[in-house]
Amino acid sequence: MEALTESGIRPPDTAAEQPLLRVRGLTKHYQSASGGLIVACEDVTFDVYPGEVLGIVGESGSGKSTVLQCLFQDVMPTSGEAYLSSFLGGTRNLWEADRRERRHLRTHDMSMVYQNPRQGLNLMVTAGGNIAERLLAAEWREVADIRAKASDYLSRTEVPLERMDDFPAFFSGGMQQRVQIAKALANNPALVLLDELTTGLDVSVQAGVLDLVRDIQHRLGMTAIVVSHDLGVIRLLADRTLVMKDGHVVEAGLTDQILEDPQHPYTQLLVNCVTH
Amino acid sequence: MPSVSTLLEDRGAAFAGYSFAFLDDMAKREIRRAILKGVAIPGHQVPFGSREMPIARGWGTGGLQLTLALVGGSDVIKVIDQGDDASVNAVNLRRLIAKTTGATETLDTAAATLIQTRHRIPEEVMREGQVLILQVPIPEPLRLVERSVAAARSMHAEMDYSRMWLALYEDIVRRGEVSAGAGYPVMVNGRFVMAPSPIPRWDIPKLDNARCLFLFGAGREKRIYVVPPFTKVEPLEFDDYPFDTEHFDGKACALSGATNAYLVESPTEDGGSRWTASDTNYADKVLAGQEVDTKWKR
Repeated sequence: MEALTESGIRPPDTAAEQPLLRVRGLTKHYQSASGGLIVACEDVTFDVYPGEVLGIVGESGSGKSTVLQCLFQDVMPTSGEAYLSSFLGGTRNLWEADRRERRHLRTHDMSMVYQNPRQGLNLMVTAGGNIAERLLAAEWREVADIRAKASDYLSRTEVPLERMDDFPAFFSGGMQQRVQIAKALANNPALVLLDELTTGLDVSVQAGVLDLVRDIQHRLGMTAIVVSHDLGVIRLLADRTLVMKDGHVVEAGLTDQILEDPQHPYTQLLVNCVTH
Repeated sequence: MPSVSTLLEDRGAAFAGYSFAFLDDMAKREIRRAILKGVAIPGHQVPFGSREMPIARGWGTGGLQLTLALVGGSDVIKVIDQGDDASVNAVNLRRLIAKTTGATETLDTAAATLIQTRHRIPEEVMREGQVLILQVPIPEPLRLVERSVAAARSMHAEMDYSRMWLALYEDIVRRGEVSAGAGYPVMVNGRFVMAPSPIPRWDIPKLDNARCLFLFGAGREKRIYVVPPFTKVEPLEFDDYPFDTEHFDGKACALSGATNAYLVESPTEDGGSRWTASDTNYADKVLAGQEVDTKWKR
């Protein structure tokens, strides 16, 4: 088991290539109501390289979303270290940063696309305004520039520009998700976190959103972590994949390899379930 | 048993049992400390234990407590209500302050040492040594974008004003301009976003780099904050949507003929409207032919 966790760290292609994100020993425990200990994730270790998409797959309760929530500072881990090379020169453990640094991390260095657009969007602020929020946090102070940038991102994510000044509360689920993706891309964060981004969308809309993310990834060279319970999503988007079960990484490797030649019994089960 | 008129005549008898300036000494000390802290951190809201006052909350209790904590027997005090010295509220506050302290009352902006005001800054430039005390209904500029007081305080602490800017952006998108009329949000000393109290936009530029001391008191919300003399105060504005004051298109005050003043509109019997200067002391001076310096910005 220990060796498998270690294999979450991919050896660099060249000596010069440095990981964008290094996560070491990420552990999150919760106290249950009866006083017992609940392990959300335990000793999760991995690297993400620039331009790479890392997939994390596992059933619900496996701890995969906890990993993202800890990275995005929504939840603070019990222990562990993480370093992002764009954040204070990669010298500061993300979970030891002060509040101001953490806010900078969330507005400049990282962004998150939540499963539920309600979490990532302010539905009572216009679609353009939602994107503007990240730009304003980065001290953009010209309305015309902000609007040009916002329409740029909205058109990339195929949101009709005439809806730019409408409230996302009145958008369809798929369009809300596309606005959320546009918002996540605004201000060019070093790392984009995608949490179950297609869950809850119907199949045709899912395909559209996945196409979009793939297209953006190719054009912008976005670095991302994709969390999903759906191996189909992981197969489409991720270069490398971690398989999580009960809070532990049970298998890690190239996505193709994992899908073609799963080693861990749980991964084998997972792959068998979706292979049609 | 003294008659009412004797009581009013004889200040000593009428106010025996009251402290000098109504407030007890501990309250005054606390408020002065809050003011000093406010001076040290311009634009930062300092909490204080707002006392029960002989007027209702919302009627200027914050301003009154600041005034009473500072006033001395040799002070000259003026109270303005929306520019007007003669409103019932202004008169009553002025009399209360004078009677409990022996301070001199005045309507003259230049003669006053302490001016308590509701929602206006005088047109006449205030000089070093003068104090303007503004009554504040809502001290928290982030109230509209963040309902949680705790969250708003941490936004101030982290200088996280992106949601404030977002509200301005949304305003521009929907209305073509920032619609805030009274109480336009300002940045103080490049650090804190501050609610300037509901003064008109006309008065906002006067806050910047002024010679007098501005004190803000919110009695109901229990907050004191300060803009010290010669402090940078800038309205929040986008580069391509600059802040602008009200314009009166060459209109003049119907009573005094004053042109360089904030004018208010009132209906006339014939269905039309009349514009008069809201600062009555300024209008009086213009009417009397006095030279009045209104150039706050130098």
